Amino acid sequence: MFKLERAERAGGFDLHSPADGAGRERTQRVAGLHLFGWVSVFVGMTTSSPFVGTARSPLDELIGPARNQRLQSAPPLADAIVLEGLAKTYPDGTEAVRGISLRVAAGESFGILGPNGAGKSTTIGMLGTLVKPTAGRASVAGFDVVAEPTEVRRRIGFAMQQAGVDDFATPQELMVLQGRLHGLRKHEAVARAGLLLGIIELAEEADRRLATLSGGAKRRVDLAASLMHLPPVLFLDEPTEGLDPRSRSGIWDTLDRLRSRLGVTLVLTTHYMEEGDRLCERIAIIDRGTVVAEGTPAVLKATVARDATLEDVYLYYTGRAFEDARVAA
Amino acid sequence: MTAPAQVLLLAQRALVQFPRNPILLGFSVMPVLIMYLVFGGLFEGVAELPGFPTDNYFEYLAPTAILLATVPGIGNAGVALAADFQNGYFQKLLTTPTSVGAVMLGRLLGDCVRLAVQAGLVLLLAMVLGAEVATGVPGALLMIAMGTLLGIVTFGAISANLAIRTRDAAAVQAIQPMAFLLIFLTSAYQSSNHIDSGVLRTIIELNPAEHVLRPMRELMLSGYDWGDIGIGFLVIAALGAVALPLTARNYRRAYS
Repeated sequence: MFKLERAERAGGFDLHSPADGAGRERTQRVAGLHLFGWVSVFVGMTTSSPFVGTARSPLDELIGPARNQRLQSAPPLADAIVLEGLAKTYPDGTEAVRGISLRVAAGESFGILGPNGAGKSTTIGMLGTLVKPTAGRASVAGFDVVAEPTEVRRRIGFAMQQAGVDDFATPQELMVLQGRLHGLRKHEAVARAGLLLGIIELAEEADRRLATLSGGAKRRVDLAASLMHLPPVLFLDEPTEGLDPRSRSGIWDTLDRLRSRLGVTLVLTTHYMEEGDRLCERIAIIDRGTVVAEGTPAVLKATVARDATLEDVYLYYTGRAFEDARVAA
Repeated sequence: MTAPAQVLLLAQRALVQFPRNPILLGFSVMPVLIMYLVFGGLFEGVAELPGFPTDNYFEYLAPTAILLATVPGIGNAGVALAADFQNGYFQKLLTTPTSVGAVMLGRLLGDCVRLAVQAGLVLLLAMVLGAEVATGVPGALLMIAMGTLLGIVTFGAISANLAIRTRDAAAVQAIQPMAFLLIFLTSAYQSSNHIDSGVLRTIIELNPAEHVLRPMRELMLSGYDWGDIGIGFLVIAALGAVALPLTARNYRRAYS
């Protein structure tokens, strides 16, 4: 019932990205069919409700013009994210990232693996405009992270390593505020928050204080809040760190569904090899602030041994066991 | 979304957040009310001293109570800001197309409204106890505005900067008693003319809070002295000119 109501309430969906002016064209190119994809996810999940059945849902009717628009839009850029010699040295002299160069294709799911302290969070922080690089350059969705941070922020979702939620707010309030700060009108933000809360299976907790929710639920709310403006690029910093296996599996399932149906560019950091294997099409292994290996999980494993795991790959390229590196960090 | 609209949204968030923490709400208002009642009762006889500006000590004490509500009261905003850092929400806000300035002004505006309401409650209590505001409602509003602004530019700025630097709510809370010093070293409880110690009178004259409290008391007891009111706002503006850019700078550098 919830999903049907939410679908009906979604009548005010603004299917346009909040991008403006010259930026819009670039966003459309980077996003490719991502908006169509986003709506497909919502529709797919909504129509899976027994209350909706096979009838054309209100969302179906809403997405028609948007689908045509997306199909007519320019083909996506090859690279959604480009890093060229990106480096960060903190004021205390710590060289967290030492000249990383990478390219992430639009729609790709890319993992940055490494132990704690390897430079993963600093790297993703620089891409998310939270940390200022001290050398090199990076662009996200065609915009420079230093020169055009606001344009970058319009086009990214960022789920933190530590669920960035206000404990005194409710999930609904938090997500509506997030959407409104991204330029959604109030009724659009409310409708979208409802849909997303349904997708992350927290619709019943929509009006409970976040302080009363479990760590896993907070992570899911943080993730959903990051999706409020339907970003073409999604950054996830250790998305399942500290979660129990069930919550971790739930987030993986959600990310799988998003990835398979959206065409969104996904960049995640993790030190769980299993997570990298499960979610990422391509992986960069980072050690002491530099990329020591990059490729698809299969290719990386094949370079080491026939039955190698990503853990073996890490050992091969860094000369130390992954767990040892984590402890050392 | 325009920057002013973002500021309003964030101010609304700060306002909604506060009453949801009953401990914070209770402990920011109750001590002031208790102090007002206890000190008012204890020192009531002071009003009988020759040359004391009023015969109702609760009237004399009302502007002090307003400052007690606003100056230490703003410390809770620093605690809330530190909590935003601790739970990662500040960072989350910075991943939206919202400027750091809007984040800062949003909290500032929310805190201004909250402090004004708290100060209004204290003044209402004073009136229940028989105090009268000589300048009526406009004077009362002016008093509340001066008290609120002094809180923002003094302890508000200190607690915000400490929150940004330490990201530790406990550290911000620990300095809260210092705010009382700012008020106690004024003519808060006793008219300067009746203080024997010359050293103390000098300290009081050098305390910027005294130059805000004085016109507030005049608004309460006698009428508008625009010269003193002007000096009060000049002091607030001077403190703000130092404190607010420093705070803005620290906000901007919170993540770099």
